[in-house]
Amino acid sequence: MDLRANFIRSPPGRCVTVTSVAEQPVIDIDNTDTEFVEMILRTGGPNIRNCFQCGTCSGSCPAGARTNYLVRAIIRKALLGLKDEVLSAPELWYCTTCYTCTDRCPQDVRPTDVIKAIRNIAVAEGYMLAPHQKVAHKVLEAGHAVPLDKESWQKLRERVGLEPVPPNASSHPEAIEEIRKIARKTGFDLLVKWEDK
Amino acid sequence: MPENRIGVFLCHCGSNIAGVVDIQRVMEAIRALPDVILVEDYKYMCSKPGQQLLKDAIKKHNLTKIVIGSCSPRMHENTFRQALREAGHNPYLLEIANLREHDSWIHSDDPEAATEKAVDLVRMAVARARLLEPLEEPEVDIKKTSLVIGGGIAGISAALDLANAGFKVYLVEKEATIGGKMARHDKTFPTLDCASCILTPKMAEVGAHPNITLLTLADIEAVEGYVGNFKVTVRQKPRYVDTEKCTSCGDCAEVCPVDVPSEFDANLAYRRAIYIPFAQAVPSAYVLDMDNCLGVDAVRCGKCKTACEAGAIDYDDHERVLTLEVGTIIVATGFEVFDATQKPEYGYGEYPNVVNIMEIERMLSSAGPTGGHVVRPSDLKEPKRIVYIQCVGSRDERTNRYCSRICCMTSIKQARMLREKTGADIWLFYIDLRTFGKGYEEFYEATAEAGVTFVRGRVGEILQDDETKDLIVRGEDTLLGRPVVLEDIDLVVLATGMVPTASTSHVAHLLNLSLSPDGFLMEAHPKLRPVDSFNDGIFVAGTAQGPKDIPDTVAQAKAAAAGAMALMGKGRIKVEPYYSVVDEDKCAGCRVCISVCPYNAIFVNERGASEVNPALCKGCGTCTATCPSGAIRSQHYTDGQIAAMIHEYLSAQQ
Repeated sequence: MDLRANFIRSPPGRCVTVTSVAEQPVIDIDNTDTEFVEMILRTGGPNIRNCFQCGTCSGSCPAGARTNYLVRAIIRKALLGLKDEVLSAPELWYCTTCYTCTDRCPQDVRPTDVIKAIRNIAVAEGYMLAPHQKVAHKVLEAGHAVPLDKESWQKLRERVGLEPVPPNASSHPEAIEEIRKIARKTGFDLLVKWEDK
Repeated sequence: MPENRIGVFLCHCGSNIAGVVDIQRVMEAIRALPDVILVEDYKYMCSKPGQQLLKDAIKKHNLTKIVIGSCSPRMHENTFRQALREAGHNPYLLEIANLREHDSWIHSDDPEAATEKAVDLVRMAVARARLLEPLEEPEVDIKKTSLVIGGGIAGISAALDLANAGFKVYLVEKEATIGGKMARHDKTFPTLDCASCILTPKMAEVGAHPNITLLTLADIEAVEGYVGNFKVTVRQKPRYVDTEKCTSCGDCAEVCPVDVPSEFDANLAYRRAIYIPFAQAVPSAYVLDMDNCLGVDAVRCGKCKTACEAGAIDYDDHERVLTLEVGTIIVATGFEVFDATQKPEYGYGEYPNVVNIMEIERMLSSAGPTGGHVVRPSDLKEPKRIVYIQCVGSRDERTNRYCSRICCMTSIKQARMLREKTGADIWLFYIDLRTFGKGYEEFYEATAEAGVTFVRGRVGEILQDDETKDLIVRGEDTLLGRPVVLEDIDLVVLATGMVPTASTSHVAHLLNLSLSPDGFLMEAHPKLRPVDSFNDGIFVAGTAQGPKDIPDTVAQAKAAAAGAMALMGKGRIKVEPYYSVVDEDKCAGCRVCISVCPYNAIFVNERGASEVNPALCKGCGTCTATCPSGAIRSQHYTDGQIAAMIHEYLSAQQ
């Protein structure tokens, strides 16, 4: 939130008065979701309980350098069992899975694997970024995450001496139906909220 | 065999045992056993009245064997043995049934089963007691000479204490001078007194002490014998300079045409092939590094010999092998600095302006390679923006798990000195600051007050601007929960931790000492026997045992010296009679026992049979179990005694 609204601007050298502050409730850390914590302990490697919050992960993280994504804080919240807070934060999706944190962690924790496991739970509980959902829909509609659905691409292929439509799902609609069948069987369609048109 | 008259004494240990085990029921069950003449109980058997009860009963009932049901024999076996001695009884005619650690404490939730187990344990103890034999404790002489391995501050402190108490000391050092790592430090925390000012007087004292024989350039090659009577083989490399004749004038080094990186100066400067490690070295004499010498004849070089007016240089000097006979040994082999190239994300060895704390220490020293000025190695300019990184090679599953204990304070000390000397901006990144010693916390606060910025977080990576060789440091300020980037950093100092030296494992192997999983020497007990090793007469001191600062090192060295003195002062020591004995009639001379003995206690005697040295044998029983002809018996733990216990346990209760 923008705190500037709460300041009364004064001429330079004068005092600035804060009229109100945003209220933040205390965090409840004794009401933990043990099942969630168990899952974190399983995926985070044998030493995850020894995490001493040194910040090597977030200090090495290329995504965190430019965003408010903090691996360390996610691990901390996860170990405390603050499930909802972890699942609902959009930062969960900023990790590029480059594994630098896993490479450098002095306690041999596997933060990337933890992030991936939390993402699975987040999606199962209905937390998903719209672009990811769209990609999933693309797979179910065209058989590919990046389908050849533009005429320009077909022309490009022709120019370099390829057939306009490649011999994959694009030229085999029956294969797309198979993919949808798998999705329905596994519940993937419901997970990504896809409706067969 | 004379008649067995067994007395059984059951201790309540307050409510520790009696609160769980039904003592009355145990007494009734035991009373019925053959040979048991007397069954008594008492609230605290280890107390003075408890011991008196024992002594009186031995005399009154003419008891031959004693069984005590009490705590673990590790607690009070010696107490009860002493009581037996005082009653004129052989102390080895005693068997303890552990009713506390092995029973009441662990089965407090099931008193019924605990009582049954107590009956079983005491029955088994009685069965063994029937077969106990009186044993004599052999005595050995202790030579009043000590060997100290390692000439750092630990070895120096221990050697001086021993020598001042009147014992002869051999101090063996592998380098050309004593002084160790402390001599390379500039100032010491938290008092900022100069390391060499407090160390060099001690070094000189060692050099001049009539009771100390100093052997530099020397390595331990073999150790034989046992407590009080060690025979140590030492190999001493040639120095090519007579320490008696050398006046340390330096004329030789002046004419020497060879430049070699100086180990003493952390390779930041050059020395000659003939050199003195530092001005106050002890022995105060030059040394010729033959590996780097051009050649000793006039055709190839030979300049130094011509230049030496004192005639101290002897190109024909040769290696010496000495045999020392000593009563006690103190191991003080020190530490090495962690090799930071193992953490590639910090760029040590790749980026010139990333250095370690030992290199800064040499730069800070006015006698060091830069005359006391800390500089950027890339352009020798004074750094204005400096970052310290803690826990490099410590608290790290990938390198060393332990905390090296000294790096926090060393970094804080250096940061404070740099801040006060040059006014540089300094950021110190840490995981946790460990300022545990006397006056350390105050020193840390004063450093923060001096303007050093402490950032809670471990640095993730260091990048370099290849043009300027300036550095970019990335990490997280975990207290803010925000990533931080520091650009245009002139110098990054890695707080490299302590690692065990190769000499430590070499000496440990020769002396049969145990190492902890971290590679440092293991002490006999972390609290109650912190400077003893598992081998009698051998003590450990200083950073060879684990990372520690100078005060702790000196305290441990003095403790090790006191331990050695306690043995040597008495002059004789009783050895526990739990050694193995070979029946020469049965021994076929196959020597399998010799190959399995972990203590090298067995040898082949002049009759071709195996013989056990009681002073070396720890009574582990490995040889007894291995001997194919059953010729070896472990005294006090004979096959018959153990079989009787098993037999008693498996037989139906009467």
